[in-house]
Amino acid sequence: MQGFMTRETLLKWAPVLVLIFLLLVFPIFEMTNAWAKGKEHIYLLDSRFLSIRNLARIAISATPALMVALGVTFIILMGSIDLSMEGTVSVTAVGFAYAFLWLGGTLASWAWLAIPLALLIGAAIGLINGIVHVKLRIPSFMASLAMGFVGTGFALLLTGGDRVRVEDPLFRALLTVRWMNFPIMVYVAAAFLLLMWFIQTRTKLGRNFYAVGGGEELAAASGLNVNRVRILGFMLAGICYGMGGLMAVGKIGIAETVTGANFMFISITAVVVGGTALWGGIGGVLNTLVGVLIVFVINNGMVVIGLPSYIQSAVLGILVIVAVVLSTDRRSVSFVK
Amino acid sequence: MNMERIKPHLPWLTLVLLVALVGIANPTFLNPAGLIVLASDVVPLFIMALGMTFAIYIGGIDLSVQQLANLVTVIATVFLMSFGIWVAVLCILAGALFGAVSGFVTTRLYVPSFVSTLALGFVALSGAKWLSGQRALHMDAEQRDATFGWVFERTLGIPNELLIAAGLLAACWFLQSRTTFGRSLKAVGAGELAAVASGLNVDRIKILAFALCGALAAISGLIFSVKLSGGDANLANGFLLLAIVAVLVGGTPLTGGVGGVLNTAIGTLIVMVIRAAMVYLEVDATQQQMIFGIVLIIAIALTIDRSKLKIVK
Repeated sequence: MQGFMTRETLLKWAPVLVLIFLLLVFPIFEMTNAWAKGKEHIYLLDSRFLSIRNLARIAISATPALMVALGVTFIILMGSIDLSMEGTVSVTAVGFAYAFLWLGGTLASWAWLAIPLALLIGAAIGLINGIVHVKLRIPSFMASLAMGFVGTGFALLLTGGDRVRVEDPLFRALLTVRWMNFPIMVYVAAAFLLLMWFIQTRTKLGRNFYAVGGGEELAAASGLNVNRVRILGFMLAGICYGMGGLMAVGKIGIAETVTGANFMFISITAVVVGGTALWGGIGGVLNTLVGVLIVFVINNGMVVIGLPSYIQSAVLGILVIVAVVLSTDRRSVSFVK
Repeated sequence: MNMERIKPHLPWLTLVLLVALVGIANPTFLNPAGLIVLASDVVPLFIMALGMTFAIYIGGIDLSVQQLANLVTVIATVFLMSFGIWVAVLCILAGALFGAVSGFVTTRLYVPSFVSTLALGFVALSGAKWLSGQRALHMDAEQRDATFGWVFERTLGIPNELLIAAGLLAACWFLQSRTTFGRSLKAVGAGELAAVASGLNVDRIKILAFALCGALAAISGLIFSVKLSGGDANLANGFLLLAIVAVLVGGTPLTGGVGGVLNTAIGTLIVMVIRAAMVYLEVDATQQQMIFGIVLIIAIALTIDRSKLKIVK
């Protein structure tokens, strides 16, 4: 019988351990900071970092990035990469905002149709992305990078550089109304995560992603229509980016060309930190949840303990390397690119 | 004439085609003086792409180059007064060191270069912010002209900047095509396991390739800094993706082992022509980004050689 703490289980749970470690280590800094000022401070209990308020703050800031990262998870599972998210998020956000305002400007009217429309736009961009990649036989890195330029450019064309404000109180309730201290958008994100988890583990499509990522030639030889799986994967990712766009607008109430900016590296970093391998076949959406939380806990924690802002990106960089090192099984990898 | 023989020539044929198309639409584009100015404007991007070529040629990627260039603009501005021309050496050493660390993390800690270089880019960004005090710094104009003024002069009518780029291209081409190191880069890119099996010290080769990439990114940052006479932690933003695009459009695939520095020179020129064409053809500013992306897809579809790709990931 195998022991409970085998190498495999440790590696599998490494991202979770990193997350728990981070959640426990930032309060230590808080405590020593408080002591240095001569204040009383009980570890964990007096922590501002671990207060519900701050955890809600982390959850809010992580929500749009989680949606985007879920999408790219499926692509990375297939061993491909998608760099089009910044453009897609911007286009869906701007498209949603215009459609929403044009259809009435409040969720209580036909304007709710703008929400499925945004997801459709995301799927359509993903479809084009997948077709360019599969039919023109252009590696996904380049195809999606160029599509990202097209997306950002299209958003710029639509807005002409202006900001579009979405001020409907009913839509903004995503952020403003809280159930048990957490805003509605966090629950929406959790439901969406559950749906993606269902697709990954309980549908044929989800299993096919792993088949393609684990060995494409084998999958093709066993009769799998790999091209179809790839195109569907990019469409699914597009829908996730659409959700990301909606959440981003829900968070700040503004849609603009730069709504999608900075999502690319943060989402891919989160996916990799969560333990999904860039060469495909290993990981999944729950890993991505942990990865996104690690990245945003680090970002938030550094602010709470008062690290000078110029150090923060370096600390994030080093912790990313540490997290990846901890969750890589060196025995099963012969080399990395 | 069969297709196999044309394929390697597709990148420069695409370039000629693009230049011809733009030239027909607006003949002033073909004015040599204008073309020389365009080409010298693209020199920092080209040098960065040149370095990126080595990272991609061995099958990796370097996402830290933009932040390295940012860091170097700050280093160059801060230390110009005290070091004079030797600041160039300092910058290049800093770049090479960062690149080598990326290589080390990739090879010894098994972190994919996509992640390791991204992470080290964050570290470089912190360095740049710390050193600059998060402000935009300016070089002393007199000191700059005395030390680096020659970069903007012309020799026989050609800007010295272009000559520097040509010199670096020649050196990189020699390194890639005429040295054992260059051959071993190709071996690693074409098949890493086979390279290990034939006794190459793959780790060392990869670390050197990343160091080279870092050093070239530093030179690019230095020229950029001298051009704009200052340094700032965000100065080179926007260069990274363009540098990658220049390498890929030139015909060096991400899988490595094919292509090379001459391809990157052509790729950079293609990027330059597409961007300049939109100005010459008076494309509205809000449409440029989108058209750039579409033309890029067409250019990539035309230029990449798929014969060596069994699976398109």
